[in-house]
Amino acid sequence: MDFALMGRVWVYFADAALVTVQISALAILLGLILGAVAALGSLSVKAYLRWPSRAYVSVFRGTPALIQLFLLYFGGPQVGIHLDPFEAGVIGLGVNIGAYMCESIRGAIISVDKGQVEAGRCLGMGHVQVMRKVILPQAARMMVRPLGVNSIALIKGSAIVSTISVLELSYTAHRYISSTYKPFEMFILASIFYLIIVSIFSYGVGKIDKRVSLEN
Amino acid sequence: MGLDFSIVPDYIDILIAGTLWTIALTILSIIFSVAGGVLFAILQLNRHAAVRRPVSFIAWLFMGTPLLLQLFLIYFGLVQIGLDLNAFVAGVIALSLHFAVYNSDIIKSAIVAVDKGQYEAARSLGLSQLQAMRKAIVPQAIANVTPALGNMMIALLKESSLVSVIGVMELTLSAQRAISDSFRPFEFYITAAAIYYVLNLGLEHGVRIAERRSARYR
Amino acid sequence: MSVILKTIAAAGVLAIGIAGAAQTADADELANVKSAGEMSIALTGAYPPFSLINEQNQVVGFDVEVGSEIAKRMGVKAKIVTTAWDGILAGLLAGKYDTIVGSMTATAERKKVVDFVGPYYRDGRAIFVSSSSSLTKLNDLKGKKVAVTLGETHEKWANAQKDMGWDVRTYKGLPELILELKNGRVDAFIIDSIPGRVAATKGTPIKMMNLPDLEGGNLPIGIAIRKGNPKLAAAMQAALESMQADGTYEKISLKWVGADIR
Repeated sequence: MDFALMGRVWVYFADAALVTVQISALAILLGLILGAVAALGSLSVKAYLRWPSRAYVSVFRGTPALIQLFLLYFGGPQVGIHLDPFEAGVIGLGVNIGAYMCESIRGAIISVDKGQVEAGRCLGMGHVQVMRKVILPQAARMMVRPLGVNSIALIKGSAIVSTISVLELSYTAHRYISSTYKPFEMFILASIFYLIIVSIFSYGVGKIDKRVSLEN
Repeated sequence: MGLDFSIVPDYIDILIAGTLWTIALTILSIIFSVAGGVLFAILQLNRHAAVRRPVSFIAWLFMGTPLLLQLFLIYFGLVQIGLDLNAFVAGVIALSLHFAVYNSDIIKSAIVAVDKGQYEAARSLGLSQLQAMRKAIVPQAIANVTPALGNMMIALLKESSLVSVIGVMELTLSAQRAISDSFRPFEFYITAAAIYYVLNLGLEHGVRIAERRSARYR
Repeated sequence: MSVILKTIAAAGVLAIGIAGAAQTADADELANVKSAGEMSIALTGAYPPFSLINEQNQVVGFDVEVGSEIAKRMGVKAKIVTTAWDGILAGLLAGKYDTIVGSMTATAERKKVVDFVGPYYRDGRAIFVSSSSSLTKLNDLKGKKVAVTLGETHEKWANAQKDMGWDVRTYKGLPELILELKNGRVDAFIIDSIPGRVAATKGTPIKMMNLPDLEGGNLPIGIAIRKGNPKLAAAMQAALESMQADGTYEKISLKWVGADIR
């Protein structure tokens, strides 16, 4: 094990880890927005809102994220979309995870006790008010964990943007493996940073989960 | 540059070959990842901490790091310790190992969840330990895990696209081969996506049938 | 709800449209490059001594220095971009970067889709075997397993040699070719002679087969740019020629390859 080499290059992995965090954070944000919109759309009484939402979820969960990324980055210019690797990474990852997050949010909304909804209606609340005051606060509690799982999957999934040359953790590991032929050392370095990022994030999600549960 | 789907049929043989390799890769990895999952689950339920701890560590490591990284490690790394693997084998190993650890979690919970009372009832009816396992515990455990394992298999099919980066000529790399010749990425990536979508539908259908059949044992 | 969704959709379409319009090349791209103050240069970063990643995570090599020097002489900065070989030409056509200084052979087929500046060196096809191999003649390779890189001219050539009965294996790049030869999964690999010879001098256990009559033995290696940009081509050609005239080219060549490879 070439510890000396690891000692010399770990700083570059640290720089790359920052890029992984940036891309993941932005993609998670985009995913949350898209997921929320699609979830609400899929629960709508209006068919023209329901069908696009269901289609979005079906297509983006039913095809590989890697293909979606390549389609966006390499195929985009043919339809007028010009993105640099970082942008394509954020949008590609975000749109993909949004479909999964939609299901998490939708699941949470659906599982709110029907009795509560009816009670709200009896009290004279309209549909939007029932959503805002009854369903969403309770659904919010239940969606924290599944969304947390989605987000952690995204942090690890962000590795795929290495294929479009974004200088994040996995690309850095691959580059060094290609030139030094020391895969174990590079795997260890990259893994350490991924594990740190995922652990910190999990801890954060756990904290949020506790707070939201307590508030009830 | 515009779109021109008319050239796609010219490369249909490359795409079909790639699709078949994707199917082979997926089926083999599903089989090994379920077998591996059972093995890891049993090891993680072992009485001795000396057996449990290393297995749990590997599980934690593989669940906390990207599949892509694990793929590089296995393809480039195992050669150094004397195991020479071609890319396809490395791909199957990486996919199987990665999903085995997730499966082991699912299987572990299911084994533990099958009501202890069931086991005791079976024994009191005169069944030996092996028979109790075979006729009462295992069928129920299978019914419990099938939906979750089914989801893992569906995820595996999509993750199989990653082995293209180590040069396995499955569907994704085949599409890239067509692209490096025709310079039409949009057309071929859409075609590949459509093929994956259809494969996915097929797999989902299969999983749902398995769920219904195993639910008989609940 | 419906109003909100429609607004988001409209904003999205507008944003994509603006992004697309802003990128449309206007007249000769030389103007774009000059106004941006930088020229983006693509190469693989996995093709020593022409491009490789050093320990400081920087992309260095013969191609990198030639490309950077050309940019410098044009009065702009060089932005080095690494990308896999099999997508590099498609990337240029899609406008992801301005040029490829990646040891690309200027073949007639490629000239149909891009223009070439240069050539900036010449190299030829070579076949490498393991140092301990006993294969010496081309016919010794009949029926053997031969590795090539996806998208390289050697891939096409190897697949066309039907009478050799080769089992042609394609890989992503040179590191994989060397790896497969080392672990015995293939009997030989086919690439340009210089990278293989340099790797051999650096201790990689490979040796070049002595095949003086091998087809494709001496070819021009060019710098690819998109078609329809004569001014850009002229500027780059002028920069290349000036560095070849004043000794800068020779210095770079000796530094990375140990010989003048013009």
